[in-house]
Amino acid sequence: MQCAESLRVQAYFDGELDALAAADIERHSESCSECRALLEDLKRVRTALREELTYRSAPPALRARISRSLDSLDKEKMAARRRAGPFWRGAFSGIGGTALAAGLAFFLLAPRLTSPLLDDLVSAHVRSLMPDHLIDVVSTDKHTVKPWFAGHTDVSPVVADFDNQGYRLIGGRADYFDHQRAAVVVYQHGSHVINVFSWASDRGALPQDTTRNGYHMAFWRSGNLAYCAVSDTGWDELQGLARLLRDLGAHDNRQ
Amino acid sequence: MDDKRRRFEALVMPHLDAAYRFARWLSRSPADADDIVQDAILRAYRGFDALRGSDVKAWLLTIVKNCHLTALKQQQRRGFVPLPEEHDAEDGEAMIATTPGPESASIRQDEARTVDRLLSGLAEEHREVLVLREIEEMDYREIAAVTNVPIGTVMSRLARARTALKARWLKEAEGKTHAVR
Repeated sequence: MQCAESLRVQAYFDGELDALAAADIERHSESCSECRALLEDLKRVRTALREELTYRSAPPALRARISRSLDSLDKEKMAARRRAGPFWRGAFSGIGGTALAAGLAFFLLAPRLTSPLLDDLVSAHVRSLMPDHLIDVVSTDKHTVKPWFAGHTDVSPVVADFDNQGYRLIGGRADYFDHQRAAVVVYQHGSHVINVFSWASDRGALPQDTTRNGYHMAFWRSGNLAYCAVSDTGWDELQGLARLLRDLGAHDNRQ
Repeated sequence: MDDKRRRFEALVMPHLDAAYRFARWLSRSPADADDIVQDAILRAYRGFDALRGSDVKAWLLTIVKNCHLTALKQQQRRGFVPLPEEHDAEDGEAMIATTPGPESASIRQDEARTVDRLLSGLAEEHREVLVLREIEEMDYREIAAVTNVPIGTVMSRLARARTALKARWLKEAEGKTHAVR
């Protein structure tokens, strides 16, 4: 039997927790012998790997071979530039298709999070997946979840159970971002958790649907509320839930 | 040397050792690792203009990982059957280490080879997160980028990898006591 905090203990050990959460874990492991033992194990594995593992560096022959290849790439480019005349034509020839694809793939997958909103949403989603952070009010009943938001958040989002369509309502949570208490409705689809964030936002364009750190994010607006569904489930499944909620929101607003 | 090459040498080449180590743990064959790293550096150089941001090491290791996957696919297409995992003996260091040396050195090397061997025995997805976290000291976000999985998956893989390594270690220690007594 593993303590529910074990992933957070690991995150603490790896320096991934903020000061508050770290203090929380320190307090927890004082009373939990299992997590104390886990910390010892983590330390031992780290020491063994860092001290005993054969530490390799690139062999000099490989280094030389690479240096020669780079030289010949440079020479090719110079020659192409001379042949092509204007230097800017040469400048484009250097971007190989595969390398460009590799570069782009990397930045699509792991961009520096430049938009604070996207950053907040992804962090909130990841944080929610840590033990005991997912749900404040556990219920599959929308008549329990929706009123709960009234006392705990600044907004009252669309809440519904789409169990028949494969999206089970499992509860709700309050989260703070964009300077307000946002409401989060939590759905389960197969083994995946989908967090649907909602917050008041009258102005400004919403971000495009995007993928951050491997999490898909679908945005839409309903009335003056902005919504974002975040999950590591497939795009189609995520869009399916977004569509259901959007339709329901449009229906509510008309009435 | 033009400006691009100079910037490349200053920003990317310092991570050549990390790229090589990562390739060695992915491919497990020194010759394959050489080819993967060479391929990766050339790709990185061609795509260097597209590099934005400061996370050069994670960017380079992502390319190494892609080159490794490409090489694997090519080997499979050619019907290449990889050697079983124990055949790491083609590794020069492993062969040298079998020759008896001064006792302390040989114990030391034996120990090093134990951890090497235990790590080699892990599944690739476990080996790679352990190497990226413990040897390359990358954070979860960077590991997620290089391995192309969500951060949550990085966390659970790391936990499983560490548990698996510890389990193998205990088993090894047990085996040794039995052998001696």
